[in-house]
Amino acid sequence: MKLDIKTTVADTLTSDLDSWLTEKDGRRTGLLTSIDGSEVMLLLLDTQGGTAELWCAPVPDNSYTSLTLKFPQLHWFERVLWDLFGVVPLQHPRLKPVVIHEEYPQKFYPLRQTEWQDNGHNAVHDEHHFLEVHGAGVWELPVGPIHAGIIEPGHFRFSCLGENIVNLELRLGYVHRGVEKKITEVPWQKAHFVAEAAATDTACANALAHAIAVESLLDLEPPLAVQSLRTIALETERAAMHIADIGGMMTDIGMVGLAATMSRLRGSALNLAQALSGSRFFRAYIVPGGIAAYPTASALLQAQELVVSLKKSLRPVLTMFQENQAAISRMDGIGKLKRSLAAEFGFVGVAARACGVDYDARRHFPHGLYPLKAPPTVLETSGDILACTNVRIRELFASLDLIEELIGTSRFDGNSDRAVTSLPAKLPANKQSCAVVEAFRGELIHLLLTDEQGNIKRYAIKDPSLNNWTMISIMVRDNLIADFPLCNKSLALSYGGNDL
Amino acid sequence: MLKLLTYLLAQKKATLSDVCPPLEASARGLPALTEEACTGTGCNACAKLCPTDAIAVVDEKTDSGSAKVAIDLGACIGCGLCFQNCPTGTIAQNLSTRNARRKREELVLKNDEVAVLPEANTGNGSHNPFKYSLHARVVSTGCSACDLEIAASGNPIFDIERFGVHIVASPRFADALIVTGPVGKGMQTALKRCYEAMAEPRVVIAAGTCAISGGVHRNGYTDAQGADNVLPVDVYIPGCPPQPWQLVYGVLLAMGRQSCLKPEEDVILCHPTQPTPHPFPTQSR
Ligand code: SF4
Ligand code: SF4
Repeated sequence: MKLDIKTTVADTLTSDLDSWLTEKDGRRTGLLTSIDGSEVMLLLLDTQGGTAELWCAPVPDNSYTSLTLKFPQLHWFERVLWDLFGVVPLQHPRLKPVVIHEEYPQKFYPLRQTEWQDNGHNAVHDEHHFLEVHGAGVWELPVGPIHAGIIEPGHFRFSCLGENIVNLELRLGYVHRGVEKKITEVPWQKAHFVAEAAATDTACANALAHAIAVESLLDLEPPLAVQSLRTIALETERAAMHIADIGGMMTDIGMVGLAATMSRLRGSALNLAQALSGSRFFRAYIVPGGIAAYPTASALLQAQELVVSLKKSLRPVLTMFQENQAAISRMDGIGKLKRSLAAEFGFVGVAARACGVDYDARRHFPHGLYPLKAPPTVLETSGDILACTNVRIRELFASLDLIEELIGTSRFDGNSDRAVTSLPAKLPANKQSCAVVEAFRGELIHLLLTDEQGNIKRYAIKDPSLNNWTMISIMVRDNLIADFPLCNKSLALSYGGNDL
Repeated sequence: MLKLLTYLLAQKKATLSDVCPPLEASARGLPALTEEACTGTGCNACAKLCPTDAIAVVDEKTDSGSAKVAIDLGACIGCGLCFQNCPTGTIAQNLSTRNARRKREELVLKNDEVAVLPEANTGNGSHNPFKYSLHARVVSTGCSACDLEIAASGNPIFDIERFGVHIVASPRFADALIVTGPVGKGMQTALKRCYEAMAEPRVVIAAGTCAISGGVHRNGYTDAQGADNVLPVDVYIPGCPPQPWQLVYGVLLAMGRQSCLKPEEDVILCHPTQPTPHPFPTQSR
């Protein structure tokens, strides 16, 4: 959606934000960042109205009073802001680097474009210090950055008392690749390839968010058939990843037979993606202006068969899993998260819905055929990993139902509608837009700002993981070390999407 | 429990017996060069469209009278735009899954040279110590899709374990280091340490376009230029992400077992389907 910039004052940001957020239900902070280092920029979402606001507060001396003190959901954003722009959130309770590690030179602020002035605040990236937990019998367990399995890197520092986790601190940023800057460096017509590689397991949602951001700048509305295929693609991605994550949970519980079945069935979901798009991950499929190509009639037929048989094969496996007493007792009560904390920290996605946070961007923000075709939000209340798994399973079937319905009812008439609309050579100058998409991990935001020439001057991506990484520290507290893998699987967060 | 067991026993064998077959016709695959003549920079459609600048067209003529074209598969993310938009058919779609190569330069396709084929047998002399067993450590430095495909190559369908390949949890047990992602600054130290912790002999496999060249991330401020920016690499597997069969082929190549596969053409051309109109005018820029 298109946005106007509202200029505000940094000094009163906390109180302004407070009154804005409490004025109406369903308001939340989307993201906090900067354009070039001379301001703090806040994207605010009104989920009930499906609208957004963009606030910019100039920070001429590189610093402002941290918003984290009042709004804990912003703590990670402020750290990244400091990392990338050198803007210091004063009094931030735990100001530490996220993505710019000590390998980079001192005072290296990759996205800053205005000159950096030393204002005497603590703005030096020194060696990482983990929070130390003191007391008799407390010991530390460092894990990573390279993990034991086939997974992205990140460092976990556990402080434990016996087998109990007292505190878990995360250090991420190892896979920082400079995605946001790269998007502004390539010609904007090619930016979508970089945007979808922010996290290629979420390629479809990222590509969709990018496409919507560009299309709304250009006042372009793709035809219904395209919207329908984009929705099918987004749901296929969700189904494939939900299958993978449920399978991962089975592995960690020790039900390897079922897990192997799930990894086989995930193959069917990826084949469905390939039948529709040519790529198992929908790479280069959703593009600004439309989709790469309409599927042929035979591909649609194949897709229809695949989704029907996938549903049929999943049903008995997941019923067995959900009825298995050993599985239930392994998950019951583990990694319990309170709804109030989830709301306070702005958590999103499956795990937030598992503790009763009623938020699914498909119901609130237009993308694909949403909110029109949005399935009812799946909610649980207990907030443990059992609830999380149950939400995931129900969402999986809802996705498959929707895919089947859309393939069956949409008219994909490749002859009358072009799959892609030709785009002009330039984007409008000095404009901004954003897109909010429900990726399989939760709310994904892309924000785009153009300069006077119509080039992209700033591109910000907020992966759902950016909100949710804090969740893992909270949910493992007072759980056993052996429960950590399950909690981790239950959230299934992205390192690449967080680190960008 | 009994129900579960009955269910599992009733499942049919999922594992495919045909190893590294061509991709299905619905897949996009990678580009290949054909003998059709390219008209030169007057067209340049492929080079202009390529998201990673993997293609160069120069007006110099080859012996057969075509303009010279070079495609670096090590930078290609398989978007399909070049072969879908090539008017002369010089670039075509290749559905082969046997794209991994031992040398970086073998990934650069040129139409003025006979294509360099991988050595028929092992790369390190006549005896490859990993021929029947390879324990691999996977280090991810990327976006996780490559990792998901490596995990998929171990699933019941592709079953890489049947070749004696095991994924291990420590570099101390590992013969091979499989690197995914572009190896930005943040992971360079960790990756080097992992390599140093491995006993010799050892091989390094760069899996995925990022790990080969940095892919879409190359030439940025994070020094994300691929694995061989940091380590000596023995096998390169292109694709973003590579499909499981492409990964299996790369690992078999590292083991010196690629010659055990059913012989197959190196390039499997797909007959062109309808050209897809591209949203962006190619003349701009
Ligand atoms: S298929 Fe590869 S070489 Fe061709 S345009 Fe796409 S990225 Fe470039
Ligand atoms: S090659 Fe592609 S899929 Fe693999 S890590 Fe890089 S961007 Fe991700």
